[in-house]
Parts: sequence; C-alpha cells; structure tokens
Amino acid sequence: MGKLFDAALVFDYMPAILSRIHITFLIVAVAVAGGTFLGLLLALARLRRVPVLNAAAVFYISFVRGTPVIIQMFIVYYGFPLLLGLAGIDINRWGRLNFVLVSYVLNNAAFMAEIIRSAVASVPAGQTEAAWSVGLSGFQTLRRIVLPQAFLTAFPAFGARVVNAMQDTSLAFTLGVLDMLGQAQAIGIRTYHVLEGYVVVALVFIAASLLLEKSFSWMGKKLLPN
Amino acid sequence: MIQVRGVRKSFGKNEVLRGVGFDVKKGGVVVILGPSGSGKTTLLRCINFLENADDGEMTIGDLSVRFKHATKKEILRVRRRTAMVFQSYNLFNNKNAIENVMEGLVTARKIPVAEAYETAKRQLDKVGLSGKYDAYPSQLSGGQQQRVAIARAVSLNPEVILFDEPTSALDPELVGEVLAVMRAVAREGITMLVVTHEMSFAHDIADHVLFMDGGLVVEEGTPREIFTRPKEPRTRQFLDRILLKYDYSI
Repeated sequence: MGKLFDAALVFDYMPAILSRIHITFLIVAVAVAGGTFLGLLLALARLRRVPVLNAAAVFYISFVRGTPVIIQMFIVYYGFPLLLGLAGIDINRWGRLNFVLVSYVLNNAAFMAEIIRSAVASVPAGQTEAAWSVGLSGFQTLRRIVLPQAFLTAFPAFGARVVNAMQDTSLAFTLGVLDMLGQAQAIGIRTYHVLEGYVVVALVFIAASLLLEKSFSWMGKKLLPN
Repeated sequence: MIQVRGVRKSFGKNEVLRGVGFDVKKGGVVVILGPSGSGKTTLLRCINFLENADDGEMTIGDLSVRFKHATKKEILRVRRRTAMVFQSYNLFNNKNAIENVMEGLVTARKIPVAEAYETAKRQLDKVGLSGKYDAYPSQLSGGQQQRVAIARAVSLNPEVILFDEPTSALDPELVGEVLAVMRAVAREGITMLVVTHEMSFAHDIADHVLFMDGGLVVEEGTPREIFTRPKEPRTRQFLDRILLKYDYSI
C-alpha cells in the first residue's frame, strides 16, 4: 500500500480527474441558465402577486431553501419517474445526469427567484412613477428602467449563487454520475489511494471558485456606470 | 384647457380628497396652497394616475376621462399629455442627464433618436446644464437634478406640467436656481399646476391660486385676492402662520 499520502500521486491523478470537469461546467451552466429563467417567472408571480401562483411560489421557494440539495436530488430521482409515469411519460431509461440537471435547475430557480425579487423590489417606487409620468407603458418601464437597475443590484448575489451552484455539483456523484468527485472515488477504489484524489478535487474547486469570483467582481465593476 | 371635477380619494378610512374641482386655462399657472395633509399632492398624483381616484372626471384638451373607469389606454394617453416634476426629482438612476430627457421622447413618443437628442440638448442648455449632458444623477447636486427633471418634463411638450413641491427636498441655497428655471418655464407659456410652500414665488408666478384644506378647495382666486385679502378664516390662519416665518428679525 505504501504511504498514506503521496504528493506525487496528486500530479498523477490530476489529468484523469480534470478530464471530468466538463460535467461540472455542464451542470452549472444548465442549472444557472434554467434556474434564472424559472426564477424570473417565480419572481414575477411574487412581484405581481398573481393569485394562487404567488402562494405556490412562496411555498416552493421555502421548501427548496429549507431542504438539503441531496434530499431534493433523491426526490427528483425517485419521484419524477413516478410523477411523469402518471402522465404516461416513461423516463426510467433517462441517464442519471438528466436527473441531476433537473434537480439543480429546480434548486437554483428558488434561489434565483429570491435574488431577482428582492433586487426588483429594491428599485425605488419613484423610478417607476417617473417612468409612468413621461408616458412609458408598464412593460417599457420594466424593461428600460426597473430591470436594468435591478440587474446591477442583483449582480453580486447572482455571482455568489453561481459559485455556490458549482460547489453543490459535487453531490452529483451520489446518483452515480461520473464527475470529478466520482472519478476521484473510482481512482481511490482502484488504487487504495483515496486522499490524493480528493485533494485534487479540492484544488480544482478552489481554483474554479476563485476564478468565478474574480471574474464576477471584475464584471461588476465594468457594469457600474458611475 | 384642463377641467377637473369632483375628485374623491380615500386611503382606507382616511378621506383625503372630498370632491375637488378646478380649471386651468391654456398657458395658465395655477398654484395649490394648503397645510400638509390637505390633499394637494394626492390631487396632483390623481391627475396623472399615480393614484387611482375613487370618483371624478377630467378633460385635457379633447380627451375626457372618468378617474374610476379609465382604461389602461386612456391612462397612458393622459400620461403622454402630462408631465410631472417630483419632490425627490426621481431622475432615472441608470441614465445620464441627456438620456433622462430623451427617454420619454424616444420610448414613449417614438421620436427619432437624433431629433430627440437635439431637443434634449436644447432643453438642458435652457436650464443651464450644457456641460452636464453625460452626468449621472449621483454626480449632480439636488438643484441640478431638479433642473434636469424640469428639462425632462418640458421637452415632452405636454399640455400641463405638474410640479409636486419641487423645492421642498432642496438645500436652501439651491432653491433659487430651481425657482428661476420654473419662472422661465412659466414665461414660455407652458401650462403649470404647482404645489409649493414658496409663498413669494407663488405670489409672483401664479395667475390663479387654490387654497386646499381637509380634502377640499376652501378658497380660490388671484394671488392678490388670496394673499392680501383672504375671505376664509382657514386661509387667513394658514397664511399668517406661513408668512410669520419670514417676519422674524433680530
């Protein structure tokens, strides 16, 4: 078995583990894009106080924020086929990655909804009134005055959420998806060197998180006009 | 010509407007005076539907609306014939001075950008802000922001501009520059409806004064009538209290 921790193996394992990083990026990209879109709909339902939908959105958001991601993933994994089965749709042959993607989209939608809602609510009422007073319609007011200002307010929280979403992806391996962590585990089982693989994964996550954080704060500075 | 009749508005059980009516003739300057809580601001906000009045009707030029039953289209039409200058300026924070003036022209009135740009430049020059086209609201003083807001309102060439206590949020030394701009706007023959606490300004600029109290127009007349020989005891009381402030001398 040799040493418990062999630093040289960290470098040996790096390529194999890095070769799975696209799975992580795929999950983050889909989760953030889908989550933002769904989150916008949820936020609109809440801001406009659409009857029924508003209450449903409140319930959904507090459910997602009040339960661990891993539970949500298992619920989607075991519950979705049943639910869609009732509608006559068979997804039992779906790849495991698809279940992971659905879980993370649904999860991020709740967080994005709250980020968008609070950012829109933070735009002073006077901005809307001024837009109305110069003759802008409701939609024009939202598009030209409210959303651009809300976007700037939401940007830091949005960036933090993306970094969190990336770290959450590390749970994907629990459904048997071969991401970086899955790869590290597979290597550990094969070689009995477990720790080195995890150190590699940790290093990659630290690097990716820092990179994301820095690029978001750089973009944030670019976006602020004054 | 603007006619407003029978405006009523309650916030819950609090009846703020109890049937208010008045006329503003074309090019006229009507000043609304009254103690705080008398409903002046609410009245102004009902006219361009920032508040939905419970009852009453209004005619602006050839457009007549009933406040309670106005459709979205009618509301938009009223807003495109009026403009407002707010107590807290409310410049668009995501736009610089010239974009603030252009926004209504381009987005609401569909005026070509190049033409709107020229109009906006002309209006900003008139309020003395030729060097500030690119300045964002956060880079401008309160007085400058309010002057941009006035340029924004005037550039729309509305049938009436509603001024809601335009100098109340300003530092005292900045009040003068805004009042000067408003005098210039009045001289141009633009119809104005002004809520203000600046008495000497009201006296100079108004051709008609409304005194409101408790959600009603208690008394109206020319500035001379209202300021020198008010008939109603409540008007007299209010003016005594306000004008007294300026009589303190050491």
